[in-house]
Amino acid sequence: MSAMPQPQATATLEAEVPSRVLGELQALVDAGWFASLDEAVGDALRRFLDSHREAILEAMIREDVAWGLHGRD
Amino acid sequence: MAETEPRLSGVVCDAGPLLHLDELGCSDLLEDLRPVLVPQAVWAEVERLRPQALTPVLEEVSHAVALPAEIEAVLRGLSLHEGERQALRWIAANPTLTLLTDDAAARLAAKALGWRVHGTVGILLRAARRGQREPSAILEILRAIPHRSTLHIKPSLLSEIIAEAARSWQLA
Repeated sequence: MSAMPQPQATATLEAEVPSRVLGELQALVDAGWFASLDEAVGDALRRFLDSHREAILEAMIREDVAWGLHGRD
Repeated sequence: MAETEPRLSGVVCDAGPLLHLDELGCSDLLEDLRPVLVPQAVWAEVERLRPQALTPVLEEVSHAVALPAEIEAVLRGLSLHEGERQALRWIAANPTLTLLTDDAAARLAAKALGWRVHGTVGILLRAARRGQREPSAILEILRAIPHRSTLHIKPSLLSEIIAEAARSWQLA
C-alpha cells in the first residue's frame, strides 16, 4: 500500500491489490458483511496487524536503530 | 540512511516516547528535536499518567485538520487511539514533521502513508551520535529499559541492539 501525503484535504490513499482480492472484498461488502470497502480494508489491516504485531514492531525498531546510529539528522 | 532523506524539522509526539524517555531520565533529549508538538489528547494522557514528563520544551497543539475519509477509515481499522489519530492528523497537515511513537499500529499507519516515524530507541541512539550523551551512558540506559521503563522490547532484540551499538561505538 502506498499513499501520497498531500496538503490537508487533497491527500489520497492508493492501494494496488490483485483484482481477484478486490473482487472478494467487494463480495463481502455486497453480502452485507461490511458497510463499505473502506471498512473491509480497515478490518483486514487490523487483522494483519494483530497477527504480525511483534514482527512489525521488531522491523520498525531495527529501522530506528539504523537511523539512531547512522542517520544524518 | 539515504542522503535523500529529509532533515528532521520538528516532531509530533504520541504518549509512548514522552513517558518512556522520562522514565529513563532522558526527557531532555527532546530539546534537540524542536519544535516538539504534543496533540491535546496525548497531552491529557501524559498529564494523567506521568505529569512530570510534560517538560517546558513541549508545545501543546490543537485543531488538527481531519484526514480524508478513506484514511480515517484505515486509522479506525487499525484501532488507533485518539491521541495517535490526532498526531497523524498533524503530520498530514505538516508532512515535514516526524512522528514519534512506540506503537506498532501508529508506526504502520505512518509508514503506509509515507511519513517519517521514529521511537524511543532511535532517539536514545541518536543522542550519542549528536553528542547529547556519552555512548557508554546510552548503553547503560538501554540496559535499564526492562526495569526502569514501561517500554516493551523483546529481550533478545534489546540484547542485539545493545551489541550493535557497542560495536558501532567500538565499546564491545
